[in-house]
Formats: sequence, structure tokens, C-alpha cells
Amino acid sequence: MTATAPLFSESYRPAFAGFVANRREPDAIARLRREAFDRFQTLGWPTRQQEAWRLTDLSALQSITFQQPADALIDASALPTLEGPTHRLVFVNGRFAPGLSRLPKLPDGALITSLGQALTTHLERIEPYLDRLPGLERHSFAALNTAFWEDGAFVHLPRGTMVEEPIHLVFYAAGSDVTVHPRLLLALEGDAQATVVVEYRGQGRYLNAPLAELALGMGAVLHYHQIQEEAPQAFHLGAIRARQDRDSDMNLHLISVGGQLARADLAVLLDGEGASCAINGLTLARDQQYGDYHVRIEHARPHGTSEQRFKSVLDGKARSAFDGMIHVRPGAQKTDARQTSRNLLLSKQAQAHSNPRLEILADDVKCGHGSTTGFLDPDAEFYLRARGIPATQARALLVHAFANDNLNQIRLTPLRERLARLLAARLALDLAEGK
Amino acid sequence: MLEIRNLHVTVEDREILKGIDLIIRPGETHAIMGPNGSGKSTLANVIAGREGYTVTEGEIRFDGKNLLDMDPETRACEGLFLAFQYPVEIPGVANLYFLKAAVNAVRKYRGEPPVDAMDFWDLVHERMELVKMDESMLKRSVNEGFSGGEKKRNEVFQMAVLQPRFAVLDETDSGLDIDALKVVADGVNALRNPERGFLVITHYQRLLDYIVPDHVHVLVNGKIARSGGKELALELEAQGYALYNEEPGRARRAAA
Repeated sequence: MTATAPLFSESYRPAFAGFVANRREPDAIARLRREAFDRFQTLGWPTRQQEAWRLTDLSALQSITFQQPADALIDASALPTLEGPTHRLVFVNGRFAPGLSRLPKLPDGALITSLGQALTTHLERIEPYLDRLPGLERHSFAALNTAFWEDGAFVHLPRGTMVEEPIHLVFYAAGSDVTVHPRLLLALEGDAQATVVVEYRGQGRYLNAPLAELALGMGAVLHYHQIQEEAPQAFHLGAIRARQDRDSDMNLHLISVGGQLARADLAVLLDGEGASCAINGLTLARDQQYGDYHVRIEHARPHGTSEQRFKSVLDGKARSAFDGMIHVRPGAQKTDARQTSRNLLLSKQAQAHSNPRLEILADDVKCGHGSTTGFLDPDAEFYLRARGIPATQARALLVHAFANDNLNQIRLTPLRERLARLLAARLALDLAEGK
Repeated sequence: MLEIRNLHVTVEDREILKGIDLIIRPGETHAIMGPNGSGKSTLANVIAGREGYTVTEGEIRFDGKNLLDMDPETRACEGLFLAFQYPVEIPGVANLYFLKAAVNAVRKYRGEPPVDAMDFWDLVHERMELVKMDESMLKRSVNEGFSGGEKKRNEVFQMAVLQPRFAVLDETDSGLDIDALKVVADGVNALRNPERGFLVITHYQRLLDYIVPDHVHVLVNGKIARSGGKELALELEAQGYALYNEEPGRARRAAA
């Protein structure tokens, strides 16, 4: 497990050969890895000549030789917690940590476990989904993840199953110049319902390249939250692909505050009539941080709805990018798709890039997008100060108001409150003072 | 309590105020009238400390302290209040939260502990009645989606809660129908007392029927052209500003 995998050298092939040689896995899985690795070899490393990677500067990664991580002992207090009963799986450096995990009783047939364990016990429930969902076919890191994932989370809820407690999936990375490829596979069969909180954290300088696959059957409801709070020196290159069947409802909340470079690529396929998807994204970045979302929503069937609300708050020399594509296929009539990207700049050096795109091949649809970027309103700041509120608190209040709108979309109260505290701390806002 | 001496102010290198002298004592209500662009709002903004105005000469003292040295929040904490001509909408900040933050900022400045939640609630309710404000406005974002009248009422409500020692009302009457005007005037009159000073800036005499001033000043082209008692307002109503050889709109053009 300590074999080096020099990601940025020419020699991926020996690293991959060494990696698979140590694994005893079902043939089907080994084949997926080989195919994904071949795909990666064809795709190569993303370059800024590619439109999708034009703004993402990977040069800081390319000077580093990343290795497979060693096992790390983590103090449980370093891990985020959620108040109240949860199903909790913790992964340290991409490997399941049963001692830090806790799984209360589940409804009959429901499965929440590590993907590695499920390979031996429930392969038949994994195979229909793992690497079978469409989207991100040309994404190098998704291919790398399939080739190199060691472990991850597997949630499978049979038809009609409801898991009431939040499923808390914590991925912690630790080490210097290591790379981890955690995998998440969430499959909700018809009418199943779940609330999932995924948290990415760590310490040191590492590359985390997770891939989450979300499959929603007919009428399934998923509330999925992803909190990216990687270590300040870390790199996060994540991907999410989702397929939704008829009348399913997916709510994604994506919060990004950590890492020196963080990007997530999302591909959502609304593959059944009346499917709906809401994505609520908030990026907080400062200093030299870079935060990036690339989203593709594909409306394949009629009566689908999608709403994307992305916001970023940028201080220092931070930069953000948002690239959102709404694609409406011919025949996906009565689609209602909306997208907004709003960026608040707290410094003159901060930069936000927004690239909303629509491709509409049906003629009876409602689609809209909007993008705004600006500084704090000086009139609003003066108004608050003229009432006695000090300048720093006035600014914090205004930023909080801008960002809190997104946090308020989160219905999971303990998480929403924790994130509100995180936001307040980031803004050095003394809530107690104002309340 | 407020002493303005020889105040000259420029906006983007254009002189808007050209030597204002004005002394307001505790308990007095002064009205400043003048045509559009005479510099009325410039005076209000300079007193409150808004950026973009350069004082080239003169001084403003508040209880003997140099007001121009203070940032806007310090002026507010010292007991100064500006009722805005155009109250700002602040989406996402609830009115009540904002008010409490303001009250506590002032208390902190004075070395007092944060306001007791129950006391604050009682005060807010009492003052809401003063300006006939609906309780639902407390939960709404500051001024967001408020009508013109609601915004002005909210200004007077804030003043009633913050209880400043000196308040500047910048065209608080503009855009109000007669009923709303009466509500606003009643709110102001209820706050008048021997310790509190007011500077009421208005374009129309009408407001002064309801907030009866002790002194009236006519501001024309950056200077106080005439001062007198409340009867001066009536005279202006009858004769207009034409007697004062105004150069209309000059300050407004510079500020735009």
C-alpha cells in the first residue's frame, strides 16, 4: 500500500499495475478498473487548452509527486460530527475506519456499508450501478477514481425504504503529498428516501479526487449535502454524477470553503418524466484560494425541473469559476430550468468567472439564467454604520446576509446551524452581539 | 449641542456648501428649507459622515467634540441620527436583528452590557405603536419591498428605538401622503424634549405644519440666505424661492 503512484509522471502504467496486483477483487471490478485506466490513458491529463479546464490552473499539482497514502491514525476529535442520531461511516485516507464509524439499526433490506466490504457480500447490489451511470465520460479524474479507488461508501435502499436519520459520510485525508480517490455510491430504488451528509476534511498537502454516483429510482427523494472543508494546502478535484428516474427529487447542497484549489464537476441526467433537481452551491474563498463548479444538467424527458443557485464570496486574491450548462434534449417538453450565479467580491484583487450556458433542443420549455458579480453595496454599509454598527461588523452582516440565504435552504437543522457558525467565524461576526 | 461654523464642502471638486453657520441648542428644532440642489442633503450627509464629501473649511462640533474627526458609527454612538432621504434596502438582514445590532453597538460604545431581550422587545413594541408600524415589518428584511411610506416610517421607528440626542431628518416628508406624513410627524413630536435637538430638512412647508420648528433657515446655493422663526416657512410657501436668486440644481448636478 505504500507503492508510489507518481500521478504526474509518464509512468502511470506501472503504478496502476502495482495497485491492482495487491487487490483481490471480483473480475467485474478489476475489468472496470482496467477500462477506466485505459480511458484515462486516452484522455490524458487536463490542460488549459481544453475549454472545460481553461480557468483551472493545475500547475501547482504538477510539481508534486503524489503517493499512495500510508494508514493514518486520526484523533476522533478532528472529525466533524452531526448532532442527533446518524448512520456514520468514516474513511481515513480513503479506507474505511470501522472504529470511528457507527451504524444503528437499519430498515429491512437497507444497506449502508463500506464499498470494499460490499464487494464481497453484496456484489449483486453494486454491479447495476458502479460506473454504470452516464456522465463525465471525458473527465480524467472520474476515470482515475474508477481506476484507483480503494474504498468508499455504499448506500443501497430498496424500493420504498426510508432512512430517517442522516447518513453521515466523513472522508478524512492526512499526509504529505498523498492522493486519495474515495468512491461514493448511493442507489435509491423507487420511492426510497435518504438524507446524506458528505464531509471532506484533512490535514497536510494532499490531493483528494472523490467520485460520487447517485442513482434515484422512480419517486425517490434524496437530500445530499457536501461540505468541502479540506486542509488549507490541499487540492480537491471531485466529481458527482447522478441519474434521476421519473418523479424523483434530488436536492444537492454543495458548500466549499477549504483547499487551495477546489473543483467539483457535476453531471445530472433527468432521465424520467417529472424529475426535479435543485442545486444550491456556496463557495467561500480567501487569500489565494480557487473554487470552481462545473455543472451539466441534462433534461432528457418532459416535465423536468432543475434549479441551480450558486454563490461565491471572495476575499483577498481568491478566484472562483462557475460553468453551468443546461441541456434540453429534443422531446423534453415543458422543462423548467433555472440557473443563477451570484458572486460577491470583498477585495479588488478577487475575481469571479461565470459562464452560464443553455442548449435547448425542445420548443416548449422555460429556461433562464442570470449572473451577477459585484462588491458590497457602499450605501448599505453606510446605512448600517450610520446606526452605530462598526464598519467591520457592518460588512460581516452584509456578507452573512448574502451567503446565509443559501444556508437557509438546508433543512437539516444541526448541519445548517453548524454551517451558520462556520460562516460567522469566517466573517468574524459576533452573532451574540447582534442577536 | 450642534455647532456648524463656516462650513465649506466640495463634491468632486465642486463647492456645494459655501460657508454655513448654524447653532442648534438642546430642545430646539430647526428647519432647513431650500430649492432642489441648494445643498440641503449635502449638509445632512456631511453631518452623518458619508464618504464622498470633502470639508475644505470650517468645522462641526457636537457637544464640543469635533464631529468631522469621527467615523459614521462613532457619530451614531455619540447620539447622532440621520433619517435617510432614501432608506437603503438590505436583503437578508431582518429589521429586528438590525435594530438590536444597532442598539447593542451603541450600548457597547457606552460601556453598557447588551440589551436584555425582554426589555428590548417591550421597547420595540411600544415604539412600533408610535409610528403605527405592523409587527410583520420586524421580520422582513430591512426596507426590502417596503413602500415609500413604510420606509420613512421605519426611519422614524429606528429613531424612536435608538433615542438619539440629535436627529437630522433629510426630506423625511418627500413621497408621503398626508396620513403617512401625520404619522411620521406625530412620531417625531413624541420624541421632542428639552434635551433633544432636531434638524428637519425639507423642500416643502407642509411638513412644518405638523413639526413646528423653533427656527427656519433658507438654504440657497450653498449658503443660508435667511433665518427666522416659523413664520418664515409660511412666507416661503407663499412666495417661493425666487426672491433668493437661486442657481437651481447646482448641487444636485454635481452630486449626480
